[in-house]
Amino acid sequence: MIEIEELRKSYNGQRALDGFSLRVEEGELFGLVGPNGAGKTTLIKILATLLPADGGRARVAGYDVAAAPRAVKPLIGYLPDVPGLYQDMRVSEFLEFFADAFRLPRLRKRAVVERALEGSGLSERRAAFVETLSLGLKQRLLLAKTLLHEPRVLLLDEPATGLDPLARIELREHLKALNRDGVTIFISSHILSDLEDICSRVALIANGRNAADVKGRTVLTLQEAVPPRVICEIEVAGEAEGAARLAGEFAGARLLEHAGNRLRVEIAGGPEQAAALLRHLVGSGVAVVRFDSRGPGLEERYREAFGGPRP
Amino acid sequence: MNPMIRKELRQRMRERRGWVLPSLYLLVLSGAVAFAYFFKTQDLFGFGELNEPQGAEVGVTIFLVSAYAQLTLLLLLAPVFSAGGLTIEKEQRTLAALLTSLLTSAQIWWGKFIASLLFLGLLLVSALPVLSLAFALGGVGWRELILVSVCTLVMLASMCAVGLYCSSYFRRSVHSTAVSYAVVIALTVLTFVATTLMSWYWQQEAGPGGTEEEMPDYVAAPLYLNPYVMLFSVFVRSGDDYPFWAISLKLFLAIACLAAALAMRNLERSGEQV
Repeated sequence: MIEIEELRKSYNGQRALDGFSLRVEEGELFGLVGPNGAGKTTLIKILATLLPADGGRARVAGYDVAAAPRAVKPLIGYLPDVPGLYQDMRVSEFLEFFADAFRLPRLRKRAVVERALEGSGLSERRAAFVETLSLGLKQRLLLAKTLLHEPRVLLLDEPATGLDPLARIELREHLKALNRDGVTIFISSHILSDLEDICSRVALIANGRNAADVKGRTVLTLQEAVPPRVICEIEVAGEAEGAARLAGEFAGARLLEHAGNRLRVEIAGGPEQAAALLRHLVGSGVAVVRFDSRGPGLEERYREAFGGPRP
Repeated sequence: MNPMIRKELRQRMRERRGWVLPSLYLLVLSGAVAFAYFFKTQDLFGFGELNEPQGAEVGVTIFLVSAYAQLTLLLLLAPVFSAGGLTIEKEQRTLAALLTSLLTSAQIWWGKFIASLLFLGLLLVSALPVLSLAFALGGVGWRELILVSVCTLVMLASMCAVGLYCSSYFRRSVHSTAVSYAVVIALTVLTFVATTLMSWYWQQEAGPGGTEEEMPDYVAAPLYLNPYVMLFSVFVRSGDDYPFWAISLKLFLAIACLAAALAMRNLERSGEQV
């Protein structure tokens, strides 16, 4: 559905994209992660037909975004990182304006706007001015606007920025539902836990290029059925020196972090290996207060790829 | 109907300036007409006894004063309505949504342009009764009224197009508005100063024998771009095939077309600004 080949873009000689390549299949919910200035927003702007690339090729549903932007626009819904609203318009006027901007026929427009109002839970507020809505409701309105013309591909640039936890959860559920309906979603976000929860695959980007984790993978497959590794977060009573030593000696275990009474251990294998480590620690007389194990999350893989202690 | 026009008009008329400005505008214009009338018929400044003015003289004075007052006010208002047209979309981060919709750059520009011009046109039309007061006194005909209105409208269209070009180029309304005002000053003041300087320089070169008829055309050329001179030329019946105001009109139309084309090109390339 989205094909990107060796895409390049510079701003005043500064490389924003330097040969980035990617392929997103139809119906995927695909994430894009990378540090600030990695080129995520530039990439999404090129896909949204807002920016011309200097080189390489980007296609959406088979259409080249540079050569056929008029064919691409009806297929995409784009939500920028800092989206704007017409604060002095009423909610229904705002949606009607964008329905007109997407040239929906008059009869269909009315039905589509009604559906958007109901779908976003804004029916009761249709006559309210946009400026009176809360941030969460504004985000709902923006998403409703983005979906008015029923795009096949959603391009979302940091859509959860500024949202409170409840609004973020709501957004995630909304995106999952859209994806179930067959909409391909390409989303960039700094909130790794959000991506981890909803994305099937995530691409890494750094300095405008495809970045790779320690195993050389540029695209990470999330939600694997059997995780090849488990991360254990352990909290003990008192100092964790002894526990850290014991964990380090355990077969297939690697101590990732040790501070105060807490330690983080990576262990090869599945949950059985984690249970074995717990038994080993308790059997050795360590007073374990908390033991939490899970598959290697996006956060760990992000750290592996970009090296920083804090993403 | 272009959805941009509907949106712009709706938003414009919701603003407080949507009714405050026309009210102030008509108030100032009425004041100018009253001043012109009393200036012509009364000895306001104690200059001594006035000759009894003819009704037609009073009519022409009122018409000229109101036409010039109108032009000055509208030239001051044109950047206010046009120079923020596109920068406001950039500032409130809505331009990306417009550019990724099925609206073309031309439609976006046209919507902004028509909305600006319609509001200025509304002011122009609302002042027609004031200008028509001169009819009661004579000296002014339909020709002058129509020509003055058309010239003013074309000039405003040109200024709106320039304002929108500035708006497409800059990111901030304050910069766009400042440059638009600079263009208005250049056209109204600098053209006059340029002609005066060139005329003086030519007189120096030609010596005392140089007459105005011998003065080359380029000396007066900047005045073709002066809105006040264009308006004044409407009252001068020269008998030329191409009267002064007609050449000015063509120049202003050319400026408007150029500014429109450049603004649309900028809009298409404004992805970095959104």
